[in-house]
Amino acid sequence: METNSFDAIVVGTGISGGWAAKELTEKGLKTLVLERGRMVRHGEYPTATTDPWDIPFGNRVTQETKQRKPVQTRSQYPTPSNTHWFVDDLDNPYTEVDGSRFDWIRGNHVGGRSIMWARQSYRFSPLDFESNAKEGIGIPWPVSYDEIAPWYDHVETFAGISGASDGLAQLPDGKFLPPMELNCVEIEFQRKLTEKMGRKLIIGRVANLTAPLTHDQSPQRAPCQYRNLCIRGCPYGAYFSSLSSTLPSAERTGNMTLLANKIVYELIYDNDKGKATGVRVLDAETGAQTDYFAKVVFLCASTLGSAYIMMNSVSARFPNGFGNDSGELGHNLVDHLKAAGVSATVEGHEDVAYTGRRANGYYIPRYRNLGKEKRDYLRGFGYQGRASRSGVGRFNNSSMIGAELKQAVQEPGPWVLNLSSFGEILPNHLNHATIDRSRKDKYGLPVLKIDTKLRENELAMQREMVADGVEMLEAAGYKNIHVGENNYGMGLSIHEAGAARMGKDPKTSVLNKFNQVHACKNVYVTDGSFLASSACQNPSLTYMAFTARAAHHAVEELKKGNL
Amino acid sequence: MSQDAELMRRRELLKRAAWLLGGAISAPAALAILQGCSAKEPVAGAASTLKVLSAAQLDVVAEIAEIIIPRTETSGARDAGVPAFIDEVLAAVYVKADQDRFTSGLAAFEKPFREREVADRSAFVKQSLESALEAKESPRAFILMLRELTLLGYFSSKVGILDNMEYVPVPTAFQGCVPLSQMKKHVYWE
Repeated sequence: METNSFDAIVVGTGISGGWAAKELTEKGLKTLVLERGRMVRHGEYPTATTDPWDIPFGNRVTQETKQRKPVQTRSQYPTPSNTHWFVDDLDNPYTEVDGSRFDWIRGNHVGGRSIMWARQSYRFSPLDFESNAKEGIGIPWPVSYDEIAPWYDHVETFAGISGASDGLAQLPDGKFLPPMELNCVEIEFQRKLTEKMGRKLIIGRVANLTAPLTHDQSPQRAPCQYRNLCIRGCPYGAYFSSLSSTLPSAERTGNMTLLANKIVYELIYDNDKGKATGVRVLDAETGAQTDYFAKVVFLCASTLGSAYIMMNSVSARFPNGFGNDSGELGHNLVDHLKAAGVSATVEGHEDVAYTGRRANGYYIPRYRNLGKEKRDYLRGFGYQGRASRSGVGRFNNSSMIGAELKQAVQEPGPWVLNLSSFGEILPNHLNHATIDRSRKDKYGLPVLKIDTKLRENELAMQREMVADGVEMLEAAGYKNIHVGENNYGMGLSIHEAGAARMGKDPKTSVLNKFNQVHACKNVYVTDGSFLASSACQNPSLTYMAFTARAAHHAVEELKKGNL
Repeated sequence: MSQDAELMRRRELLKRAAWLLGGAISAPAALAILQGCSAKEPVAGAASTLKVLSAAQLDVVAEIAEIIIPRTETSGARDAGVPAFIDEVLAAVYVKADQDRFTSGLAAFEKPFREREVADRSAFVKQSLESALEAKESPRAFILMLRELTLLGYFSSKVGILDNMEYVPVPTAFQGCVPLSQMKKHVYWE
């Protein structure tokens, strides 16, 4: 037992786990970090510098991948250049309740989805923390924007977020590295949106370094090289991931023990002490079972991963799952709502283009239901997109052949511009996950059963997301406006959250304002689980801020003897 | 073996080879190992490695692909290994029904194609493309499938990219508004 005992245990190595590991080890805690997937170290990115001609099949997704990864390929992400970052669905099953699609897109390896994330980094605003209370939706947030703002500063500074200060109340500015550039057509679209509709378009705020970091804690990181191959892993460490950033810092303290292939399936609860004493672990390769012990446990296994571990931890004290006195564990699952994408061609600007491949696009921040406006739905949405000159694909619908075709390919194609929306999904008790004990995975562990659907608010919002997109492109005078297919299923935005929400009242929430389980204070849950509502901004930056804050809280509480 | 596993295996082999040689493995040798199983290496397309197409079918595909992208002052579809690429993609990416649609479409196309004098075949391909685009069939007609595969194979091949585009693997900077007059040729933006 001696060698299995630590000050802290962190479960998971994605965005949240990496931050917990860094902050706890830097504060001197001997910390065990457990990852259910395989070991990957910074730099071990097999395709990071592979030229396009060495990627098989023109990078088209294969039937083998579709068969092994039927859920992962519902997203457009897995291709031959990166499919090694996406789980094998046959080996990692879960149950979708009849008629209820849920797209659970995952990566089981050290670094988790921080390797493949889209790096868009936005703060939640005061409005986002206040809406639940004002509108009587879900439960009030126990944390205000002002309380979390210094932690946003803290994580932005360390991670390196590039962006412009735009002075928007609904999208607070932060500690930014220089913004990337908009291209000529995007600048024109920005101007037209402002003039004709009073809407803002800003350059995306993205966790890619546009200049050296303002600190010296990450010597392994270099500025962005504008290859736009981030999803393969960046050998320059130019974007923030657990591998490039937080885990190396944790490693350097000498306080981290990082173990891969360790599946945490249960929390160990000591009824006499009223505390968790550790975690039960299954070795993914050998099947061996081991218990690890610590004074404090951080669950950072992703919202469904952490909810699973808690629901699977049943004891006399917690017959309905760990910390589940409220009955809300596994409930209130949200994601970000998408609708059909909208695109158009832009006439003119034929004599200009851009150089380099920008790993970022523009962002149209939320403009609906601000101030006095009241739509027929609550909350709002934003758009991400970019303008670009079309490439070789434009010739798929042309009859041009021969030398003429080869000549034509030398010229850049017409400008195209697209809008892809991300909206807020309201927390709803009915959207939930439970454990399906009738079905086991290859480790003999029961699987998750997920039951969610889009409701009236979402469907009304989806209609407006498309209509507004079309309206903006029309207002800009763009041609051939095309509305794509709506292929959205809950989960597809890969922003699933909310399964162990935080709140003031233990009767209606699982976690308190410091991410501690109300009923067991030495367990913190700091992945997407804690969101009482999800706003419409990409959430990872908020997970970072709350994780860092929770880790500091845990260290202080340990010092005071409160845990 | 899956493609990921295959790629990892090749990297591992390379690492091991480098270790065995005391790290003295030459760059070209390393490249050769890494590209060992590349779909576009010259020997691919030999009859024994074909997966979906017969050698005879591959010949027709090659001839049509070369009409779509002929060798001019730059490489053509054959130089880029497009015929073998098409066979590989048919096998790995297409479902059986689409493979069959391709091969039966090929069989139907081959006869009138072969009946033309060699000099007229290019016009026949062009004409077939025009009528297929006009017909707007779904799923797409054989000749459009072949054309799409030819473009994909050629412009994802080394010679296709390097001969026709300004490929900058590490751009180091992004400039949003650059006059085309300051750029060389089609920049690889994919």
